[in-house]
Amino acid sequence: MDLVRYTLRRVLLSAFVVVGVTFLVFVVAQVVPSDPAALYAGPRPTAEQIAKARVTLDLDAPLPQRFVRFATAMGTGDFGVSYKSRRLISQDLAVYLPATLELAIFSTLLALLLGIPTGVIAAARRGSWLDRLGSLGSILSVAMPTFFFAMLLQLIFSQWLGLLPLSGRLSQQISIADPLPFVTGFNLIDALMAARPAVFLDALSHLILPALTLAAYPAGIAMRLTRSAMIEILARRHIVAARALGLSAPRILFGHALPNAVGPALTVIGLSFAYALTGAVLVEIIFAWPGLGRYVSEAILSKDFPVIAAATLVVTLCYVVMNLVIDLTQTLVDPRVALT
Amino acid sequence: MNRRDVLKSAALSALAASVPLALPRWSMALAQDGSRIFTLAHPAGFPDLDPATSFSNDGAVLANVYEGLTRYIPGKDDAPATVAPVLATGWETSADGLTWTFKLREGVKFHDGSDLTAEAVKGSIERTTKIAGGAAFIWSPVTAITAPDRLTVVFTLSSPQPLDVIAASGFAAWIISPAAFDKDNAWFNAGNDAGSGPFKIDRYEPGQRAILKRVADYWGGAPDGAFDTAAFEIVEDAVLDQNMIEGGQADWTYGLAYENLDALKANPDLSVVVNPSFETLFGMYNTKKAPLDRPKVRQALSLAFPYDDVIAAGTSGLGSRAKGVIPSGIWGHDPDAPVPNTDLEAAKALLAEEGLTDSNLELVMTYATSDTLEATAGELWKANLAQLGITLTLQPMAWEAQWELAKSDPAAAQDIFVMYWWPTYVTPYDYLFNLFHSEQSPAYNLGYYTNPDYDKLIDEAAALSGTDRTKAEAMFKDAQRMVIADSAAVFMLDKPNIHILRSDVKGYQDNPAYGHVVFVNDLSR
Repeated sequence: MDLVRYTLRRVLLSAFVVVGVTFLVFVVAQVVPSDPAALYAGPRPTAEQIAKARVTLDLDAPLPQRFVRFATAMGTGDFGVSYKSRRLISQDLAVYLPATLELAIFSTLLALLLGIPTGVIAAARRGSWLDRLGSLGSILSVAMPTFFFAMLLQLIFSQWLGLLPLSGRLSQQISIADPLPFVTGFNLIDALMAARPAVFLDALSHLILPALTLAAYPAGIAMRLTRSAMIEILARRHIVAARALGLSAPRILFGHALPNAVGPALTVIGLSFAYALTGAVLVEIIFAWPGLGRYVSEAILSKDFPVIAAATLVVTLCYVVMNLVIDLTQTLVDPRVALT
Repeated sequence: MNRRDVLKSAALSALAASVPLALPRWSMALAQDGSRIFTLAHPAGFPDLDPATSFSNDGAVLANVYEGLTRYIPGKDDAPATVAPVLATGWETSADGLTWTFKLREGVKFHDGSDLTAEAVKGSIERTTKIAGGAAFIWSPVTAITAPDRLTVVFTLSSPQPLDVIAASGFAAWIISPAAFDKDNAWFNAGNDAGSGPFKIDRYEPGQRAILKRVADYWGGAPDGAFDTAAFEIVEDAVLDQNMIEGGQADWTYGLAYENLDALKANPDLSVVVNPSFETLFGMYNTKKAPLDRPKVRQALSLAFPYDDVIAAGTSGLGSRAKGVIPSGIWGHDPDAPVPNTDLEAAKALLAEEGLTDSNLELVMTYATSDTLEATAGELWKANLAQLGITLTLQPMAWEAQWELAKSDPAAAQDIFVMYWWPTYVTPYDYLFNLFHSEQSPAYNLGYYTNPDYDKLIDEAAALSGTDRTKAEAMFKDAQRMVIADSAAVFMLDKPNIHILRSDVKGYQDNPAYGHVVFVNDLSR
């Protein structure tokens, strides 16, 4: 019952956040010095073309009226047409969002699988060479700039070893000559649905390097956080009691200590998932990954305002949902977290 | 399970996660079914695939899917520029240059199976002018189009204009199937086409790729070993583009860093094709603001511009000296135009004449953010001007903001406006009119230059260019010399067109009239 009330309250609060963001986006668009009509009219427009675009975009209507129209459109999911791609933004998002989600989900899983177990092991073997190696690895993965790490991976795994593809989501022979039918936009899922295991493996091999690059930072931080929390927990009396009772080491570490220690690491990884939705621009550019980050950064550079607004809204929603999911997960993993 | 087991299983699972998925290196030359693929690593996306409104990189796709009545073939060495027939087989103009009659090619079919007719030509151009987006203004001299018979189109003009050259434009001059006359912008940008060209759009994934497939029975035929597929891979990262062309995953690309070109030239698998482009870089002086309202001050600044250094540093020596605003390859280009050379002493003397020695003059130059060539030109110029006691402030701006500022009050605007120009269709009038013809409210004459004699001369030359091109050309050259004499702008350089392609590709020809367009049908392997 508590859980339901807590969730409801959080959803309500989130609605305020979303409305607030919509308002901010609108205000910012009015403040930024640019002429949407000139943008909409295309390259090297004539004065008449700009005037016509002004009418089409209804830019001369009073501000409040325009905000109401804008908010209503956003609320109903009608994001309008991109100035730059001249396509429905919802159509563009249907292509770019799954690409980014696929990458973000995969990299989050990697961060979880790499960061938390290494943190646990480092804490369990505190001071050993394993701990030192893990700490070194985590510091490196946090300290190395994303673009540098990405290029390093490309150099090693793609150029030197030739094990993994350099960039893109699928090999050219598949994407050009023998394309995958578009169903969900998640290549891994679409490949399975089309029963094409070779394509699935190809998509997976393209995912590894960008996902590893994206996972490096949250995994490094999660490792450090898990390690320090675990060290503290392992000194507690209930762990000593568990040892005295003769429980196995894995059971103590993963069954009794980790749930108490994993909270901060989960938060970091969860937030980095939301961050990856638009913050992965560098990774997406270096790996030619056709994702949301690239779409939005291009929109920002060309002041493609409807796209910026739509993407901001979508990402806000993702953040809000992700936050809720993290908080709920924590209450499930760690019963001490109060539902308030 | 003890601790050691935990470690062991952790190590094993880490190992399992990193098992390499070995992939063979794969060349893009042939598809599995043996058909030939030409892959273009394209550093820019395609904003608008509607043939009526396209006015950007999208021309690269459209030029392979659609055709116009004519095509412009630039002059090379001693051969003069010509206009070649495409959908039109011939054309003639009345003595007053106001009526143009085009004969259409027999037996041309659109991709939907319908025939090319005079009505299709009329309807296509009328659709373009009705929507009035993009470069539709090129048809503004046309007052009426009629179709007296199935394969004859007659244009009536309000003033004499070179309609054969206008019809060769890479924008707004495509002829489409009548079935698509009522289609909207979204229909075309969803990846549909209505052309008659050698390729049709098979698949369009915005921001990623456009896949073009050869149509059967194209009227123009194709060379032996011609390509069946043209794949435009949109790859915005120049390093990746270079990787793709070096590795054979792409056959053609452009936009690579100048300093890498020497290494690419040494690679026997690649050809680096360098040609002059029709794109020219210049800075317009604010002729309405002191002290740049004085021609001698402007002349001094132009004398201080480091022309050769900018070409060397900004383009690895591949650009060429600009002789006014009309680049070489375009009729009206004036190879002997008296443009100034870098001469700091002469500049100093001129400034002294104007009483501006050690004046601590401060000037603002605006240019487009992220354009490294413009930035290089600015930095080098700034260093030279510093020696003359002039401080040049470099102000990078987003294009819209730069333009917005320039269109506002000239007294409050920039001192020097730096930009590129390229022609919508190939005529010197496009450069000379847009950049220096007097304007009530400035659009592209952003130095606010006014000279009634100049206006009169280019307007007369334009009227003659449909009927007496030789005379018109001489007049355009005179007009450009007026602008040079008045130092209305500093003519920085003509940009080189650099395209890199795999050396086993045959039949490649750069055509600067169409920017970065590859006519894939001419190619073979």
